[in-house]
Amino acid sequence: MFKYALKRILTFIPMLIAISLLSFVISINAPGDPVERLSKAAGNEGSAEQQSGASKKIKQELRKKLGLDLPIFYLSITDLAASDTLYKVQDKYHKANLEALTHQSGNWQAVSDYYSSLLTLQKAHQQVDAKVIVANNPSLSLNSVNESANQFGFEIGSLLETSDKNIVALKFEKMNSLLEENIFLSDLETSLAKVKQTREGLFVNATKWKTYIPAISWYGSKNQYHLWLLGNGKDRKGLLRGDFGISYIDSQPIQDKIWQKVGISFSLSLISIFLAYLISIPIGIYSAYKKDSVADKGMSLVLFILYSMPSFFVGTLLLLQFANPDNLSWFPVSGIQDPTIFDPNWSLWMKLKHRIPFLILPIITYTYGSFAFLSRIMRIGMIDVVSQDYIRTARAKGLGEGKVILKHALRNSLLPIITVFAAIFPMAIGGSIIIEVIFSIPGMGVEVFNSILNYDYPMIITVFTLSGFLTMIGYLVADILYAVVDPRISYK
Amino acid sequence: MQNTNENFSFKKYAWAQFKKNKIALVSLYLLFALIFIALFAPYIANDRPLYAKYEGNILYPAFASETRTDSIYNAKGDFVQVLQYDITDWRQLNLTSVVWAPIPYSAGSMDRYNRDYAAPSGEQRFKNSEGEIIDIPSKFRHKLGTDGIGRDLASGLIHGTRISLMVGLVSMGIASLIGIILGALAGFFGDTKLKMPRIKYHFTLFGIFMGLFYGFGQRKYVLSQAFSEGIGDGMIAMLISVGVVIGITMLFRLLSKAIQVEWLNKEVSVPMDTFVSRGIELLNSIPRLLLIITITAVVERSIWIVMIIIGITGWTGIARFTRAEFLRIRSLEFVQAAESLGYSSIRTIFKHALPNSLAPVFVSIAFGIASAILIESGLSFLGIGVPDDIVTWGSLLNLGRQNLEAWWLIIYPGMAIFITITIYNMIAEASRDALDPKLKS
Repeated sequence: MFKYALKRILTFIPMLIAISLLSFVISINAPGDPVERLSKAAGNEGSAEQQSGASKKIKQELRKKLGLDLPIFYLSITDLAASDTLYKVQDKYHKANLEALTHQSGNWQAVSDYYSSLLTLQKAHQQVDAKVIVANNPSLSLNSVNESANQFGFEIGSLLETSDKNIVALKFEKMNSLLEENIFLSDLETSLAKVKQTREGLFVNATKWKTYIPAISWYGSKNQYHLWLLGNGKDRKGLLRGDFGISYIDSQPIQDKIWQKVGISFSLSLISIFLAYLISIPIGIYSAYKKDSVADKGMSLVLFILYSMPSFFVGTLLLLQFANPDNLSWFPVSGIQDPTIFDPNWSLWMKLKHRIPFLILPIITYTYGSFAFLSRIMRIGMIDVVSQDYIRTARAKGLGEGKVILKHALRNSLLPIITVFAAIFPMAIGGSIIIEVIFSIPGMGVEVFNSILNYDYPMIITVFTLSGFLTMIGYLVADILYAVVDPRISYK
Repeated sequence: MQNTNENFSFKKYAWAQFKKNKIALVSLYLLFALIFIALFAPYIANDRPLYAKYEGNILYPAFASETRTDSIYNAKGDFVQVLQYDITDWRQLNLTSVVWAPIPYSAGSMDRYNRDYAAPSGEQRFKNSEGEIIDIPSKFRHKLGTDGIGRDLASGLIHGTRISLMVGLVSMGIASLIGIILGALAGFFGDTKLKMPRIKYHFTLFGIFMGLFYGFGQRKYVLSQAFSEGIGDGMIAMLISVGVVIGITMLFRLLSKAIQVEWLNKEVSVPMDTFVSRGIELLNSIPRLLLIITITAVVERSIWIVMIIIGITGWTGIARFTRAEFLRIRSLEFVQAAESLGYSSIRTIFKHALPNSLAPVFVSIAFGIASAILIESGLSFLGIGVPDDIVTWGSLLNLGRQNLEAWWLIIYPGMAIFITITIYNMIAEASRDALDPKLKS
């Protein structure tokens, strides 16, 4: 038995890796730049100049902390033209642009020349000081100088982020005309000429053929995935040791925010699954035992209809009917406790007593989702078993009906209902989002819902990964239960 | 008895069995009704009249394109006004004769005199052609009420039918394509039956890798460019990419024939079944709703993307059924006859085996449509994935949840979802019983 369980656990490891890979792939494809989001969340207020110096440093530290200065994965499959040091470029949009340019030209050296000449131009532009210019040429107004200088800076910024030939040409034109109109920008002329020259170099020295040859580069364990999953042994502990990263909303570690919520969601789904089994097994036995009777037919139809009722409709209907001052105001509308009365120092019993009215409607909705499904499976399984020879034998040898059904038939008819435990488990987790949102239960579902509304990707990914892992555990439990109940499965 | 009939066919038998189930038959008729509503939604619910006579001109506004603009002249030839069809309030024109659509409101148009949840039987206001605000005439009554910004619920439901049926059709179309092909390959070849020389096997794997590299890696920018120009262009570029992948794989398979080394040409079997079964297991072990929600959170909000995601996460059931059916069918005489005649595997699979194994797969597709509709309405209910300006049953129900006084926004959309799902489930179950009497419970 132990050996069997161990074997099952071993086969789950590749699955866990696959789930972690999937969530990682989704997370690196999330739109936006995490560093920008986080530094915004940290709330750097202040003037633009104050920010540029201080926040640049903060951003760099953040980038390092998040591991964004590392390659993405252990290895990468690219083409021969692509640079294997591209990941060192800090800005996400610059990175994408450089990648696209490399694809166009096929010559990474030319691309990097172009990029560095652009950066030089940007630096030169930052040294243009409007106040000095105005001091030298009193005929100019500070505003108009600032405006042209900013316009020029904007064009540089967009050149850094675009690879589209037409747009690039347009930007060059604009910069030319800005230079012609504003003599005071003439310091930038040489740098701009250099940019244009390197830009042409992209196509003169193009080695397009290189983009048609695949290349694999190996980065070793210093990469983002490794850091995310296993940590680096220093400040990051890694997902497997319970470090899920930082929330974009308030820069707090996600693990601190989430554990309590996982507990709420998990206990609600366990209670409801337990209740669903408790109700559906007797119903299934009864209707299988009285097969084709009026009661069975009626019950089958009702179950079938219940099975097609979406749980969010049921939940909303329950609210409409039982938690609505217009109809019956039996239950509170939302939450799991009344913050005005609730006292965290209460004993467990008091807490429970206080919470029960809040939990009745959600638990009904939760339970209902799996109960119709389970009853139908139980009934079919029981009918199948009752027609077997050994049941006839049991009856023939004179056993009472109760004993035949409950002792001989029940155990075998439980098999299919146990296998679906694994199917119900993810259903309960997925379904919990909708139900928790309807009843405003502060669990994992509401958390993921809110993080979607706020684009808090680390949180979404964490919930996804955790649920995937929990589902795997559900499968494991189902498999082991199956082995316990079914004598035909050998443990060896 | 029926077996003695010379014209006996399995299709006829199954249909006869299906017809015996009265509830399922009613469901089938209801499904036809839903399809009818979906097809003709713009003529059932539209705030432009179907036929209108204005100043002596005969117009068919509902059938014209929305942005059409007409200059109207009266009988004497004097210019009256310019009508731009989509922004004209046709209710306030002085029409000499008019035929309105059964529901004279469009799904997105807001009736500003009946904002703030006008109840179906409550007081509703109307501005007539003289510009007076009066009690609503029964023709223009919002028979199922309105929502907070004055959109007609009945019209929303009619147009929601379109979305729901489309979700079922598109997403299960994708899922069936993937599921049937993978299931057929896994079931037909199993782990041992697909044999090829070792060199060919490795060349094929390498060819797939190279194909993916040239088809998708190399064409990354072409693809994203095409998709940014429109979903049609994107699909064409996608097809080209898939073509490239297949072509290059084929090329490498051909190349492998050139190498003639004995050890390399030894036959090895390809564990097709293991590949597919592991894939199914993996996808099944991820909570599907959560996966869909997570993906929709990082991509653009679009109803098409939602459909595609539902499709590519929903093929496992279909693949399992197809696989099981192929496992059974591959040992039957007609498949063996096809093989012994020297037909290629592809021809045997798709021309001979597949048509005979589709029946149980059909059942799983029908159940799949029900669950696709359920997932889409769940997403719209949460307001995730589906853009806000698209009226769906789920989004209407969500409006009701936020304002429990508007019970009509809960009951009617909820019933629409419930009835549609029931119809599909009923049809699926009845056809399962009809197609395979053994399974009947």
